[in-house]
Amino acid sequence: RGEADRSRTTAKDRVQRIDPYGFERSEDFDYDSYEEFMSTYLQILTRRSIKWSKLLQGKSNVERNLKVKRYVRKGIPNEHRSLIWMTASGAQEQMEKNPGYYRKLLEAEHDAKLVDTIKTDLNRTFPDNIQFRKTAEPCLQHALFNVLVAYGHHNKNVGYCQGMNFITGYLIIVTKDEEKSFWLLEALLGRILPDYYTPAMLGLKTDQEVLGELVRLKVPAVSQIMVQHNVMWTLVVSRWFICLFIDILPVETVLRIWDCMFYEGSKIIFRVALTLIKHNQALILQGKNFPDICDKFKEIIHGAFVEDCHAFMQKIFTEPGSLSMTTVNKLREMCRARILSQEQ
Amino acid sequence: MSRKRAVKSKTSTAAPTAALHSKENGNAGKGTAGSDAPLNGVVYPSRPSLSNSSEFYDIAFKVMLVGDSGVGKTCLLVRFKDGAFLAGSFISTVGIDFRNKVLNIDGVKVKLQIWDTAGQERFRSVTHAYYRDAHALLLLYDVTNKTSFDNIQAWLTEIHEYAQQDVVLMLLGNKADATHERVVKREEGEKLAKEFGVPFMETSAKTGLNVDLAFLAVAKELKHRSMRNPNEPTFKLHDYVNKEMKSSGCCKS
Repeated sequence: RGEADRSRTTAKDRVQRIDPYGFERSEDFDYDSYEEFMSTYLQILTRRSIKWSKLLQGKSNVERNLKVKRYVRKGIPNEHRSLIWMTASGAQEQMEKNPGYYRKLLEAEHDAKLVDTIKTDLNRTFPDNIQFRKTAEPCLQHALFNVLVAYGHHNKNVGYCQGMNFITGYLIIVTKDEEKSFWLLEALLGRILPDYYTPAMLGLKTDQEVLGELVRLKVPAVSQIMVQHNVMWTLVVSRWFICLFIDILPVETVLRIWDCMFYEGSKIIFRVALTLIKHNQALILQGKNFPDICDKFKEIIHGAFVEDCHAFMQKIFTEPGSLSMTTVNKLREMCRARILSQEQ
Repeated sequence: MSRKRAVKSKTSTAAPTAALHSKENGNAGKGTAGSDAPLNGVVYPSRPSLSNSSEFYDIAFKVMLVGDSGVGKTCLLVRFKDGAFLAGSFISTVGIDFRNKVLNIDGVKVKLQIWDTAGQERFRSVTHAYYRDAHALLLLYDVTNKTSFDNIQAWLTEIHEYAQQDVVLMLLGNKADATHERVVKREEGEKLAKEFGVPFMETSAKTGLNVDLAFLAVAKELKHRSMRNPNEPTFKLHDYVNKEMKSSGCCKS
C-alpha cells in the first residue's frame, strides 16, 4: 500500500515549494520537468562536489589555469561558490588589503538622498524570497541596505542604480556575508563590468550595441528582422545586461553564468545573450511585426532550454562560436565612439 | 511586479503570427511598423491567431508608462492587466519591460503593448530613445509624494523633446486611495494638467479607481484616430475622461 501511495503523489508533492535560496516557486512552476532534470543534475552536482573538494583540499585559494577554468564552467558547488567568486574576482585580495574599510563606510554620515533612493527599492527586491521578508530572522533587507549604502558612498560616481539591488541580493544569498558581498559588488562594478550603472550608462548603451553587432555577424537573419521592424536592442535586452540575467533566467542558471563571469569576465554576458538568440533564431524569425518580435524575446527566456542549466552552460561555449576578448573590446571601442558622436 | 505573474501572464507572449497589412490604405508591411509616420508601429494582422483567442487583434499600439521611481507604474499596469493588486509583491522595474492587453473597442480588437519603464533618472537616457515610437504616454505621479509631483514638469519637458508631437498624453495622480498620506491635492493635479492641456485623473492601483478608464480612454483615442469612419463623430479624449472619471471621494467609486 505504501508503494501505491507513493506512486499517487505528484512531483508537486515531492518537490519543496521554496527553492534552496529562499525563492518561492512560481505558480506555473513545472514540477515534473524540474524533478526529471534534478534526477540527473543531482548526480552531476555530487560528482562536481567531490572533484572540487579534491582540487581545493582545504586550500583557501585557487590558481588560474585551464583545469580550474574547466571546473568553473562545469559549475562551482554551492559550498565553494563564495570562496571561488571572492578569489577569482580579486575581491578577497581587496578585502584583505582594506581591513575595516566596509565598517567605516557604514559608520560615516550617510547621504540622505542616496539612502532615500535605496529605501524605495528595499521592499521591491525579491518579495518572493522568504529571506527578504520583514518577518525573516535575520531579514536580508538589512544586509541589502547596508551593502548598497556602503557601496554608494564608496563609489560616489555610481551611487545607487536600480538593478544593483538585485545583484547585491544574490551576492548576499550566496556569501551570507555583508562585507564579502560589498567587495564582490566592488569587483563586479569596478573591474569586471563596463560602466553599466553610472548616470550616463554609457557602458550599458555600448554593450547593447555590441550585442547588435555580434548578432549581425553571427545571426544575420535576426539582425535583419530587428532592423526591418525597427526593434531597438535596448527594448529587449537592457534588463539582461543591467540585472545580469536575474529575474530573466532561472536562479540556478544565473548562478552558473555568474560562476563563469567572475572567472572569465563580462564577455560571458554576450555568450549567454547570443546563445539565447541563436538557439531560438527560427522562433524569433516567426515574428511578423514589432510587438510580435518583442513577444518572442520574452518567450526565449523560458522553458527547458534555460532550465537545464548544465546543458545550457555547455551550449554557451559552443553555440555562438568563437568570441575573443579582443573582438569584444574592438566592438566596444567602435560602438562607444559611435554613441558618443551621436549624443553630441 | 510579482515575478510569478510576470512569467505566468498568459497573453503576454506569442502574439499572432499574421502578416502585416493596412486595412485603410493597403500600405503593406514594413512601412507601417517603425517608420516615422505619426502612427508608426501600428500593425494590422490580417488573420486571427489560432493559438489563443484573447491574442487575436486588429490593430496594435504602443503605450508607455513614465514617472518617478515608486509612483506605482508597474502596479497600475498589473491592476489593468490582471485585475490584481498584491501589496508588497512588486519588484522594481529595471530598464524597460512590457505587457500586452487586448481590448475590445467598438467591436475592434485593440492590442495595447504597454511599456513599463524604470523611474530612476539615469534610465531616462536609455528609454527616451523609445519615446518617439510611443503612440501614447501615461505620465504618473504619486499623490503621497510631493517630489514626484514637482518632477512632472521635467517629465513633460522630456516628453516634448523626444515624443511624437501628436502623442496621446495623460497625467495620472496615483495612490489616490491613500487619504492619510496624501500631500498633493486633486486640484493641484487638475491645475497642472490644465496648464499643459493634458487630460488628468486620479487613479488607485490598489482599489482600481479609474485604472481601466485610463487605458480604455487612450485605446479609444488611438483607435478613433487611426481608423475613423467619416460619418462617425470625432472622439474627444478630454470630454470622455471628464464624463467617465470617478473621484476618490466616498460616494462614487
